[in-house]
Amino acid sequence: MARGKAKDGDGNWKKFIWNSEKKELLGRTGGSWFKILLFYVIFYGCLAGIFIGTIQVMLLTVSEFEPKYQDRVAPPGLTQVPQVQKTEISFTASDSKSYEPYVKNLEKFLKDYSADQQTENIVFQDCGEMPTDYKDRGPYSDAQGQKKVCKFKREWLENCSGIQDPTFGYKDGKPCILVKLNRIIGFKPKAPVNDSLPAEVMAKYSPYLIPVHCAAKREEDADKIGTVEYYGMGGYSGFALQYYPYYGKLLQPRYLQPLVAVQFTNLTYDVEVRVECRAYGQNIQYSDKDRFQGRFDIKFDIRSS
Amino acid sequence: HKLSASELEEKYGTSINKGLSSSRAAEILARDGPNSLTPPKATPEIVKFLKQMVGGFSILLWIGAVFSWISFGIQFAQGAESPFDNLYLGVVLALVVILTGIFAYYQEAKSTNIMASFSKMIPQQALVIRDAEKKELPAEQLVVGDIVEIKGGDRIPADIRLISAQGCKVDNSSLTGESEPQSRSCDFTHENPLETKNIAFYSTTCVEGTATGIVINTGDRTVIGRIASLASGVGNEKTPIAIEIEHFVYLVAGVAISIGVLFFIISVSMRYKILDSIIFLIGIIVANVPEGLLATVTVSLSLTAKRMAKKNCLVKNLEAVETLGSTSIICSDKTGTLTQNRMTVAHLWFDNQIYSADTSEDQTTQPFDQSSPSWTALSKIVTLCNRAEFRPGQENLPIMKRVVVGDASETALLKFAEVILGDVMSIRAQNKKVAEIPFNSTNKFQLSIHETDDPNDKRFLLVMKGAPERILERCSTIMINGKEEPLDSEKAEAFQTAYMELGGMGERVLGFCHLYLPENEFPDTYPFDTDSMNFPTSNLCFVGLLSMIDPPRSTVPDAVSKCRSAGIKVIMVTGDHPITAKAIAKSVGIISATSETVEDIAKRLNIPVEQVNRREATAAVVNGMELKDMSLQQLDDILCNHSEIVFARTSPQQKLIIVEGCQRQGAVVAVTGDGVNDSPALKKADIGIAMGIAGSDAAKNAADMVLLDDNFASIVTGVEEGRLIFDNLKKTIAYTLTKNIAELCPFLIYIIASIPMPIGTITILFIDLGTDIIPSVALAYEKAESDIMNRRPRNKKKDRLVNEQLAVYSYLQIGIIQSVGAFVTYFTVYAEQGFLPSTLLGVRVDWENNAINDFEDSYGQEWTKYQRMYLQWTGYTAFFVILQVLYLTQGRIIRKLFIRRYPGSWWDKNMYY
Repeated sequence: MARGKAKDGDGNWKKFIWNSEKKELLGRTGGSWFKILLFYVIFYGCLAGIFIGTIQVMLLTVSEFEPKYQDRVAPPGLTQVPQVQKTEISFTASDSKSYEPYVKNLEKFLKDYSADQQTENIVFQDCGEMPTDYKDRGPYSDAQGQKKVCKFKREWLENCSGIQDPTFGYKDGKPCILVKLNRIIGFKPKAPVNDSLPAEVMAKYSPYLIPVHCAAKREEDADKIGTVEYYGMGGYSGFALQYYPYYGKLLQPRYLQPLVAVQFTNLTYDVEVRVECRAYGQNIQYSDKDRFQGRFDIKFDIRSS
Repeated sequence: HKLSASELEEKYGTSINKGLSSSRAAEILARDGPNSLTPPKATPEIVKFLKQMVGGFSILLWIGAVFSWISFGIQFAQGAESPFDNLYLGVVLALVVILTGIFAYYQEAKSTNIMASFSKMIPQQALVIRDAEKKELPAEQLVVGDIVEIKGGDRIPADIRLISAQGCKVDNSSLTGESEPQSRSCDFTHENPLETKNIAFYSTTCVEGTATGIVINTGDRTVIGRIASLASGVGNEKTPIAIEIEHFVYLVAGVAISIGVLFFIISVSMRYKILDSIIFLIGIIVANVPEGLLATVTVSLSLTAKRMAKKNCLVKNLEAVETLGSTSIICSDKTGTLTQNRMTVAHLWFDNQIYSADTSEDQTTQPFDQSSPSWTALSKIVTLCNRAEFRPGQENLPIMKRVVVGDASETALLKFAEVILGDVMSIRAQNKKVAEIPFNSTNKFQLSIHETDDPNDKRFLLVMKGAPERILERCSTIMINGKEEPLDSEKAEAFQTAYMELGGMGERVLGFCHLYLPENEFPDTYPFDTDSMNFPTSNLCFVGLLSMIDPPRSTVPDAVSKCRSAGIKVIMVTGDHPITAKAIAKSVGIISATSETVEDIAKRLNIPVEQVNRREATAAVVNGMELKDMSLQQLDDILCNHSEIVFARTSPQQKLIIVEGCQRQGAVVAVTGDGVNDSPALKKADIGIAMGIAGSDAAKNAADMVLLDDNFASIVTGVEEGRLIFDNLKKTIAYTLTKNIAELCPFLIYIIASIPMPIGTITILFIDLGTDIIPSVALAYEKAESDIMNRRPRNKKKDRLVNEQLAVYSYLQIGIIQSVGAFVTYFTVYAEQGFLPSTLLGVRVDWENNAINDFEDSYGQEWTKYQRMYLQWTGYTAFFVILQVLYLTQGRIIRKLFIRRYPGSWWDKNMYY
């Protein structure tokens, strides 16, 4: 490009593109072009080889089963289902179209939790109906094959299971959301020390439980939320410890993370209500920068007509 | 100047005895303005500043900033969640532009300031007769019609018509370039005001004598004022480095805009939102523009300028630093630049033999054979027949540095004698002078009669020196080895040969003779009368010849040969006589020992000048008179066909013609000069070099560079520095461009492969303006490659600062290598945190979605948005660090180890800059 400029300031472009005297195309002879191209083919070939080679070597140093570092992903985030576009749930109870995306999203998510998906006993293990302690399943390698996974019964979610009510309460203006703790390999959430908890949570305490509680984000919204129902394992509103630790996609491809369903049965209509849900645990932290670490907030806007 | 004194009085309403009245003078002052030269118009500071703000890449960055603000505006209007990023980016970009602008302006201003201090002169005083009283007034207050008195050593305060003069001589060298002082009288001698003897010109110096005159022109209306305004009329050419930088800016801006637009189109057609595409566009522009480069270049240049100032080259205009490096022709003055600007005894002839004397700057002894009695006689004449004296109180200074009262040749003889004999003044005291006839132009000799220092010898000694042929006429004997022998035709022939030989070397030859007056005819009390000359002035005894020259500075021949090997043509342009000019040219190597002029060939082959094949002569000595009749073609012909040229007897106007002729050959011309008359040529030249000691202010103003020691050798150092900085700037640019690719690639891959952003726009700015500046500047300290002064000067048209090879080398080779390295790092960081390379491709939209807080990685872990961003920043850091590491290794290792092995090979030509 520079050569072009240098040579053809006087508008000699045609000659530059094809110089019939010297048989030069764009200022180079065929042989020269060939050499240049050959050089770059080899040069870039080698570079590509080096690149791929280095990446392969790098991948060898990384374990298949657990990441080398987890300092960026822990402590875990808390998220909700349904997730459509924004963290906002906005519908009209009488208009099934308006809540269809949420329902579909919930249904899709809960499909893996259906009883007929958890029949294979090689994969699934019955971990009881009540929260118990961690279930360690040995080292993070496939030496013993795949690891078993605790069953999670969809029925535990009761009204929010979608079994009786396929619209998850949306048609009655009593929306359900599912709360889950982000999966992190090897992470063992610790149950909270009891005195740090809100009174509502303390009401149903278990030492093997990471409780979840939802409340108004703002003080003034407190009365607009109405009653909040929690459904979970054994009626506890929280994540039972026997589902932890998680062994990763390869060892537990069908891992079911524990859920808590939250149903807002008496939300005020036609106003925006902000709800914040928190999970409580000694190693579950909150951060001002990351609004989804250990908690999340969600906006409800239910229109009456 | 044709008018008589009384007519003048009438014309200017003044009186020779009383002068102007104060009130009248004040009136005229109000009408004509002060008597000073108007300084050249300066560009207003604010304009200079704004120019820095919009020049070069600044426009591109402004565009980037405006785009950022626009996209911020749109996002803000749409109520997006974090639109402030773009606002900040815009602000940062604008800040970058403003800061670099301020920086460049500051640097520029700093180097201008050095000059401003230079032009401040000591206020000049003039002795004026006003209200019938003599007054000291500042020269600025002089008006037309004032009566001024001047004496030796004064600067002429205005153009003056002399009314009376006593032995007045003026040095017109600053005006006409003539180095000999010229006598001035009140007689009208020539039609041309410049030639007539009764006008003394503003800014010239009165060397000796006194004079009174009427001021006829002041300020800009003086002859010198008109020349000065002619100089400001000559346009300033763009410096080569400015052209190169412009070329570079165009190139990079072209690349930036074309890649930017291309990817804008690609991203739009890949169904990115227009807003996103605009943000990509900004990123691409920022990645492509080397923001810090212009500042780096300025710093590098000013570092070099500083270094040059230490070596006595003061650079006025920063860009001139490099111009000197690309210089292909130097038009040098003779007097003062190539020579020491003082007469020195160079050769002696006695006992039928020529001896050469040491002419170096710091002689303390003379090596020639001093045992001959003839030398004793000669030395006595040299000592006694001399009116020059040392100013008192300089006993501790080296002889060569002492100030002497007297004319140039007498000074030379005095110093010569002092070096050899020691205390000249006491010798003179021992040989009391009884009579003296000073030199004048009619008899062309100087004579004095002394008592001898031998108390037993009552004879008087008559010593005489003068033009050799006149002296010889008066002699009947010649001293050979201390014995007087009759001067026969054979000896006269020997004298002629020696005289011709010394004269042929361009030296001023003086003959010396003496005579011991017989005691019986001239007793002690004999009344010597210099008017009637009641003593013999013929049949003297010829003793010897001394020849003097303004010798070349000892460093010059070496410097000239360095210029030679550097492919720079040195042309001597002087007002001096062709023979002297040629002799000096030969002695410093401007005309090399083996080359011949047309005239030399004619002489050797014994054929008329017309028959000589002009192509055979490599050297040429061109007389000013010949030059006058030459067409431009003929001049071009001479400049083209002769490699060694001397222009003698040239006028200031011709200097300009010569410079233009050289520039027509496509050469980058450096011109040295000191006089006001040189200022047009200095300005016209690609780089004008003014003399710091001898130079006039007008010359210093017009020049781009000032040689503080007036030494030609300093120019060569300057050339070396100039070439070095060009090479180093090339390295700097190669370094900077390389990084561009490594900054650009992430963007392109981000757009095409939709991976998380490998490096952020702000991080790029960090690299460009933060970590990158220092190593770039460090490259300005790179040592010169050994062949730097053995290369030809770069060809303005072909050897660009940024050429294809450099661009290809930076962009397609090193840049790609770095990008590959950086991407390996990038993928490593992501893989070790849980995102294997295969997972990363195509994730951009979900990755950047604020609502997705359970983004799944390769291991099934779920990430919140903030955690992902945190990881992305870690990626930026890693990218940043690895780029720094790669830069460290890049230039030196790759260059030294792998590439510069086979200079001139195919590889070298095609792959390397």
